[in-house]
Amino acid sequence: MPVPILICDDSGFARKQLARSLPQNWDVEVNFAANGVEAITAIKDDKADILFLDLNMPVMDGYQVLEAIRSQDLPTLVIVVSGDVQPEARERVIGLGALDFIKKPIDSDKLLEILEQYGILQELDGSSSSAPHIIDAPELELELDINEGYQEVANVAMGQAADLLARLLHVFIELPIPQVHKIACDQLPGRVQEAITAEKVSVVGQGFVGSGVAGEALLFIEEGDLTGLAQLIDHQSEHDAALELDLLMEVANILIGACMAGFAEQLDLKFSMGHPAILGRDIAAMDMPFKACESGERLLTIEIRYGIKDKRINCTLLLVFTGDSIDTLDDLINLLME
Amino acid sequence: MPQHVEISDVHWMVDALQSIEVGLVVVDSDYRVVAWNGFMEHHSGIRSTQAMGRELLSLTPDMPVDWVQRQLEAVSTLKIPVYSTWKQHPYLFRFKSYRPITGKSDFMYQNVTFQPLSAVDGGAPNICITLYDVTAVAVSEQAMKVLNDELAFLSRTDRMTQMFNRGYWEEMATHEFKRCQRYGNVSSLVMFDIDHFKAVNDTYGHQVGDEVIRALSRLVKEMVRDSDLAGRYGGEEFAVVLCDTAAAGAAQFCERARAAIEAMVVEALGETVKFTISLGFSEINSDVGSLETWLKQADAALYYSKENGRNKSTQFDADRIPL
Repeated sequence: MPVPILICDDSGFARKQLARSLPQNWDVEVNFAANGVEAITAIKDDKADILFLDLNMPVMDGYQVLEAIRSQDLPTLVIVVSGDVQPEARERVIGLGALDFIKKPIDSDKLLEILEQYGILQELDGSSSSAPHIIDAPELELELDINEGYQEVANVAMGQAADLLARLLHVFIELPIPQVHKIACDQLPGRVQEAITAEKVSVVGQGFVGSGVAGEALLFIEEGDLTGLAQLIDHQSEHDAALELDLLMEVANILIGACMAGFAEQLDLKFSMGHPAILGRDIAAMDMPFKACESGERLLTIEIRYGIKDKRINCTLLLVFTGDSIDTLDDLINLLME
Repeated sequence: MPQHVEISDVHWMVDALQSIEVGLVVVDSDYRVVAWNGFMEHHSGIRSTQAMGRELLSLTPDMPVDWVQRQLEAVSTLKIPVYSTWKQHPYLFRFKSYRPITGKSDFMYQNVTFQPLSAVDGGAPNICITLYDVTAVAVSEQAMKVLNDELAFLSRTDRMTQMFNRGYWEEMATHEFKRCQRYGNVSSLVMFDIDHFKAVNDTYGHQVGDEVIRALSRLVKEMVRDSDLAGRYGGEEFAVVLCDTAAAGAAQFCERARAAIEAMVVEALGETVKFTISLGFSEINSDVGSLETWLKQADAALYYSKENGRNKSTQFDADRIPL
């Protein structure tokens, strides 16, 4: 009898990646869910003896799924698979009853090791030669939306950056789902205005170029939030403008540096980074000095929000790639999605 | 760079690093110097042989030690590059500027990069510190800022009185109006002008008239608080927003101003001039839907003062005073 397992992730790209990483010769029936609500239904339908669960999802996230499983005493073993590698994320899911935590992008050797460690793979011993039997997944046959690929790569990169920031500030960073847009160049100010709801922000920009890809990472932080951050890092109520500027750069160094490194690593790119520039202190985001657009010029934007909930601190990282990078990036993402 | 390096190649590579016009320092995991290029030697006066093996933080007395230590720790634990701009810290090492004679700065402004170098064993990495001379950029940006501040001041200031000009005053008054609307603060708007100013001009000439306006402006500027908005609204007409001041406070302000002007003697071009002003004011309330209405109310009150004998102040009252 094949063992029913469930892969729950909002990203079709991530579902596909995980399905491909399952051990060969494992006699399982693979089911899919795109959010927590679907997952709970599937568990109740006995489709999930083992559940591979993402954390960062719309409708019902991974934490809520774990809580529901516990409160309703649902019969499933949960292994969390997430790009959010902050220590607290791991502690929280283990505390909520998850068996273990695997970080994205998933490494099939690591997955095998964990499955063996918990004795889940014992059925494999002997003569079983059936490969994972994937059902209920028409999307695996369909062409995936390339934006999902970008989203997943950004998701992993931002998780790595959040981990560093969390360790610096000793807080838990909330990570909503990254937003990917391909836009006409002259739509950029509108995009920024939509992404940045704060009235006044400080902005740091850092350019990157290499491997046929170029662009700028823009970090937006509300000025008042900078004061909050200063208190977090310094544990003093007294602080001055010089410290806030240091802090702005420190946060920019970490979020931009780690995020770009994570992005480059997944796509096997090498970048040179320019020196970061302070593009504005306490300005309206729409007053940013954007360059003039050439006709027909396109841009790719990836919007990543970081939030410290109980401190009400938010910042937004906007990665903007030039039009002539898009083909190269699309090819690399497609390669990952194949 | 080639992956496998011949001994003969090492010579020119070292030469290139040695002579490049960028400061290059490498420190090990104990923050001791293991490389110190020509740029560093020449600017610091510390020879490479003297620097090697020394702790970076104790090399020069001017270094912002705590800050540098934090950057080095961030690089070695987080293994990401860390960048610093001259705006945060003008320099890492206090070096002379490259233009000690014709330049505008005595020292070299520096952008600094701290970069982790890949460690063979995965342990704490060596750190490469790169110093870029950005004195020219820093000096011109600072000069630009001075210029921009000056321009901003000129564009919002009335030349004769040094008060806000009408355009800027309206901009600031709009902000204040919105602030009151949003947070329910109570502020008052005062309008006033000089009584029979045309007669002053006709009798004593325009130059004396100008002196009268200047004297009045000086007095008003002394009377208002920093948070208030005082502007020249027209030729001899002025407007003041008294922030977070209700009608009673505004009435006091108006009466003090009126009495002070009445008592003032302006001496100019051998003439001695005495004059008075008429004032009107309005406290903001929920009926005031726009800055225009608020202005109209204060103006109507001012008109009432004029119609009823001048040299007095009147509070706007919808029951008594037509808009």
